[in-house]
Amino acid sequence: MKSAALLAALVAGPALAHHFELLPPLEFVPPPPGSYELHRIMPAPEGRVLDVDGKAARLSSYLHDRITLLGFIYTTCSDPEGCPLAYRVFDALREAIADTPRLRGQVRFVTLSFDPARDTPQVMRRYAGSRVVDGGAGLRWYFLTTGSARELLPLVEGFGQDVRVSSSGRELSHVLKVFLIDRRGDIREIYSSNFLHPQSVLNDIETLLLEERKIRSRP
Amino acid sequence: MRWFVLACITAIGVAHADETCNSPYISQLIKGQEDYVYVWTLGVEGLGDGSDKLVTIDVNPRSKRYGKVISKVSTGARVEAHHMGFTDDRRYLWAGGLSDDRIWVFDVGRNPAAPKLVRTISDLGEKSGFLGPHTYYALPGRMLVQALSNMQDKGGRTGMALYNNKGEFMTSYSMPTEGGGDGYGYDLAVNPKQNVLLTSSFTGYANYMRPLGELIKDAEAMKNFGNSMVLWNLKTMKPAKVFAVPGAPLEIRWSLNPKDNWAITAAALTSKLWLVKQDAKGQWAAKEVGTVGDPSKIPLPVDISITRDGKGLWVNTFMDGTTRYFDLSNPEAPKQTYEKVTGKQINMISQSWDGKRLYITSSLLANWDKGGADNEQFIRGFAWDGSELTPKFEVDFTKEKLGRPHHMKLGTKAQRATVTGA
Repeated sequence: MKSAALLAALVAGPALAHHFELLPPLEFVPPPPGSYELHRIMPAPEGRVLDVDGKAARLSSYLHDRITLLGFIYTTCSDPEGCPLAYRVFDALREAIADTPRLRGQVRFVTLSFDPARDTPQVMRRYAGSRVVDGGAGLRWYFLTTGSARELLPLVEGFGQDVRVSSSGRELSHVLKVFLIDRRGDIREIYSSNFLHPQSVLNDIETLLLEERKIRSRP
Repeated sequence: MRWFVLACITAIGVAHADETCNSPYISQLIKGQEDYVYVWTLGVEGLGDGSDKLVTIDVNPRSKRYGKVISKVSTGARVEAHHMGFTDDRRYLWAGGLSDDRIWVFDVGRNPAAPKLVRTISDLGEKSGFLGPHTYYALPGRMLVQALSNMQDKGGRTGMALYNNKGEFMTSYSMPTEGGGDGYGYDLAVNPKQNVLLTSSFTGYANYMRPLGELIKDAEAMKNFGNSMVLWNLKTMKPAKVFAVPGAPLEIRWSLNPKDNWAITAAALTSKLWLVKQDAKGQWAAKEVGTVGDPSKIPLPVDISITRDGKGLWVNTFMDGTTRYFDLSNPEAPKQTYEKVTGKQINMISQSWDGKRLYITSSLLANWDKGGADNEQFIRGFAWDGSELTPKFEVDFTKEKLGRPHHMKLGTKAQRATVTGA
């Protein structure tokens, strides 16, 4: 497909999944994929993580070869505009990607807990439910945690995901951030809650795919 | 191990800013009593160490050190210290000077009572060609820096530079010079809900470093001021519309009311308030909506501060040292309801989230500040009860051998960063 035709196809966008309807509407028309550049912000940090089976691996093994959407959560978070919002956005994107053949096999999700004391691999497996299984959606969703705060801290620091202790020293707070990471492991966009809408994320994923196609087509 | 109970905080559903005038991406709003005011201070030759410095004032009335200087960190340079801005995680404060291209990064997260200089970014001029970094606007994981001038001719053509939070240069954007654009820059402010970025325009090094009395007599030089505002597509970072706003529009404040989609600014040379808003057809437009003082006397509106509900606006005018309050219930017709002379010369104004406390500093620019007895240099704290400003404390920056105080940011003990190696 020539790039203009591909761009037109991408601009048309995937069928909007019904999960979109459960989210606050986007108040502007996002610029079409490929009409803007996503600059390399920084490399994603490295660290040791545990999957839902308790198997240890380097985080980088989850951040290459596919475009990755990574979000920090903790399973006991109850703020509807916090971690659950990210979850709804990820669900909406999963549905849109499943409905869009050109995106299948291109994207993975990573949900990483920053509460290692509570969010053990077993807890993360329960939290993930059926999402951890591909189920023919063409998208793998990994639910990861860390073995200790000591292992988590370099990741939190490296991503710039702010977490603060309350005055009592017993609570942590964070502002929701989700990271879009390219196949080389570079962070290309960071979404705060103000910015997190599945249509914007989808356009950014498509922009990265167009960029890859452009690079491949160079003589 | 202290990872027990966790609580999410997000910006959705609340006003998208902290202490009313920062980037909407900045976390950790201070909605209660602030503990500190950080004051970015221009050094004065022969006064103390003569260096630009970050001064921390204790502003918690319950503290024994209330109204006192509790920390000062010198940069070792004197480069027309002007503005500063927090990173999105509020752990670092970036600050710079208008006669230089360097940016100083202070860690305010590890110990908010005692900021520490941790980095100097010195490649702005080399990488972008820009000079005089002015506005430091947090984007997620990044800092967008608006400059005032350029390294080549030190005129007003300039642009914005994008850095990641580690201080690594990413890219730059020139201010438009076509379609009505004049190439000047000053402030920038984002409305994420609408995917728009708004910029304003001032003048270049060649003008702002000249003595004011000399400058205003130079008719040719006085032509070299910005007369425009630019609406950018935030995602593409391309100019979408240029508005004619004569007389150097300066600080930009988007209404923090989630129901609003408008911004207001004050033009320094014409003493006019301008509103940027969508019309009935959804098209963005700028229009003059009010006057500050008597424009024929050139009161020179400098800083403005919007209330968290978007219903009120404080305006400081430098020349007459007057602080004015405008009722913004109808932003199309701001109405002045209060004024008070708060100094012989005044510049920046910051308010607490609840609007009950105001902080005012005195200095505009080294060569534009008044002389003799009128050259007061201070930070003054006031209480606002809705009808009267009551003085609460003052720090004399000359007596304390600190310099010329300009931009302010608020801090609290609660902002101490977590990630210290558990």
